[in-house]
Amino acid sequence: MSAPDLRVAVGDLLLANPVLAASGTFGYGLELADLCAPEALGAVVTKGLSPAPRAGAPMPRIAETSSGMLNAIGLENIGVEAFCSDKLPELCRLGVVVVVNVFGESPRDYVHVIERCEAEDGIAAYELNVSCPNVSSGGMEFGHDPDLLRTLTSLCRRATEKPLWVKLSPNAPNLVETARAAVDGGADTLSLINTIRAMAIDPWRRRPELARTFGGLSGPAILPIALRMVHEVHRELPDVPLVGLGGIESGLDVVRFLLAGASAVQVGTATFRRPGAMVEILDELAEYCRQTGVHELSELTGALEV
Amino acid sequence: MVPRTDRSAVLIARRQLTPGTYAVRFQLEGPFSAPRPGQFVMLAIEGSDLPFWRRAYSIAGFGEGIDGPWLELMIKIVGPGTAHWRTAPMESRARILGPLGRGFPVEEATGPIAMVAGGIGLPPLLHAMAELASLGISCDLYLGAATADELIEPESCARAVAETGGRFFACTDDGSAGEEGLVTEVLGRHLDSGEAYEAIWACGPNPMLRALARLSAKRGVPAWLSMEERMACGVGVCLGCIAPAPGGEHVRVCTEGPVLPAAAIDWEAL
Ligand SMILES: Cc1cc2nc3c(=O)[nH]c(=O)nc-3n(C[C@H](O)[C@H](O)[C@H](O)COP(=O)(O)OP(=O)(O)OC[C@H]3O[C@@H](n4cnc5c(N)ncnc54)[C@H](O)[C@@H]3O)c2cc1C
Ligand SMILES: Cc1cc2nc3c(=O)[nH]c(=O)nc-3n(C[C@H](O)[C@H](O)[C@H](O)COP(=O)(O)O)c2cc1C
Ligand code: FES
Repeated sequence: MSAPDLRVAVGDLLLANPVLAASGTFGYGLELADLCAPEALGAVVTKGLSPAPRAGAPMPRIAETSSGMLNAIGLENIGVEAFCSDKLPELCRLGVVVVVNVFGESPRDYVHVIERCEAEDGIAAYELNVSCPNVSSGGMEFGHDPDLLRTLTSLCRRATEKPLWVKLSPNAPNLVETARAAVDGGADTLSLINTIRAMAIDPWRRRPELARTFGGLSGPAILPIALRMVHEVHRELPDVPLVGLGGIESGLDVVRFLLAGASAVQVGTATFRRPGAMVEILDELAEYCRQTGVHELSELTGALEV
Repeated sequence: MVPRTDRSAVLIARRQLTPGTYAVRFQLEGPFSAPRPGQFVMLAIEGSDLPFWRRAYSIAGFGEGIDGPWLELMIKIVGPGTAHWRTAPMESRARILGPLGRGFPVEEATGPIAMVAGGIGLPPLLHAMAELASLGISCDLYLGAATADELIEPESCARAVAETGGRFFACTDDGSAGEEGLVTEVLGRHLDSGEAYEAIWACGPNPMLRALARLSAKRGVPAWLSMEERMACGVGVCLGCIAPAPGGEHVRVCTEGPVLPAAAIDWEAL
């Protein structure tokens, strides 16, 4: 039997398969090339890029939890300029599909990153990380306030004609309302979820495990929450393409997200334990399609029977 | 950089070194690059989701046998991840990612080197001593522990050092074996009495490394120090394992380290 066709469309963007590397877990796409070929993935989402390099948060930045981990890396990154000059050419040479993850402390920062990237070839889409405080006005997270999010998205929309993804925060007071605001502002696709705000405590030292006290929870611990959120947003906005993520570790987990309404998925924390995880997940997904007679993955998207 | 792989491996030998420390040997199922002394591996228990992160271990020894490559690690039991290997039956399976990080500068070494190990800091230095012996470079080993029964295999350490033509100094905090005092104090005394070393290579707890960094700066003896940090990935992508560098910069211990020149770290900020 021929290999199943794993191609998917995420809005107008056609991808060879639905498994993407999640932002912040695969570096700038080249670091793990010997263990997981980036060109074999549907796409690579870069570490979040800001206009200038950022040093990030103090140590300790990570903590192990039950079936997951916390991180407060503080959005350390090399900055958009170094990405465009030092990383992008090699990614293009390898034929990697690149999604640039963008963040900033003000709408102007986001637009700056996109405008700098627009001068380059080889970027397939932008993903806005809106789980950051808007330092330029009061410190409210962009992704927590529908009005703020709509404005931010529309400013970014004006800066590019490429697919614009907004990565939703699971910590927003009203998920569906923020999802709508992003679409109203011009987002083509929503990715969800980012990490869940959480903390861990060392009982012996009577201190938080992380220097920043709070961090983002990721890994299999959050998968049921992520599934619920993808399902809810898909039910309310059935025409909006979704990229699902949160705790995916296997091909069957991918199927679960597709059934809940996603067109593609991202894999993050699983790569830390198994650098080759995404390639194995693709094999498992193909096997599922063979066993169940799925010809095209779009048959699965939103096909949950309730 | 030597090519790294993520391989299945089976436990083929274990021996107890001290009441809480074991040497374990794994047979790798497939090719594995010969590691440089000071490099480490990230080890998972195959077929188990726990612990959630892999655990980092320095490589104590490596060889190619008729059944393929093997790795020796030394594991101090401190929690669930390490405790697994105290009782795991022979033929238990692991997943080993490596070799990782940067090791000691063996190519540039001329000797004599002062090797300083604090407790479970010994494994990378054992590997380094074996390599130096084969190159005909001598080193002295300063092995420190709290008490006599926590000293890891003093007899085989003495033998390994002798192979390089160097001497072995055991140091215990309570004086129950070897010289009394912190291993760094003992090294300091030897430097005072005219001992000359090309460099210090060390692995151990941070306070020991900090003391060595100071000693290195004061005496003008370059030091290469192997560090430990919490690690989620071990391969440079999570940015969880950083250590402060001078000028407000930082390094990733897993990738720029774990062995770093003392001057690359801001020891007072650590
Ligand atoms: C580069 C490197 C080389 C190492 N080499 C050795 C070695 O050769 N032999 C050896 O016995 N140990 C070594 N360690 C330490 C070893 O990784 C930890 O003892 C181990 O992770 C503890 O796991 P646990 O589940 O038993 O303990 P727990 O205390 O339950 O672990 C809790 C968490 O803290 C982390 N952690 C605890 N202690 C350390 C530590 N010292 N360094 C980094 N993370 C830690 C664990 O990974 C885990 O995430 C090394 C660490 C690093 C970073
Ligand atoms: C160490 C780490 C760093 C991350 N950095 C970013 C980032 O820079 N931008 C972003 O949008 N998401 C970031 N994330 C979130 C992930 O992309 C992902 O949304 C989240 O981890 C859930 O997926 P997972 O459970 O598969 O990891 C990071 C996650 C981790 C664990
Ligand atoms: S352990 Fe992940 S970057 Fe070092």
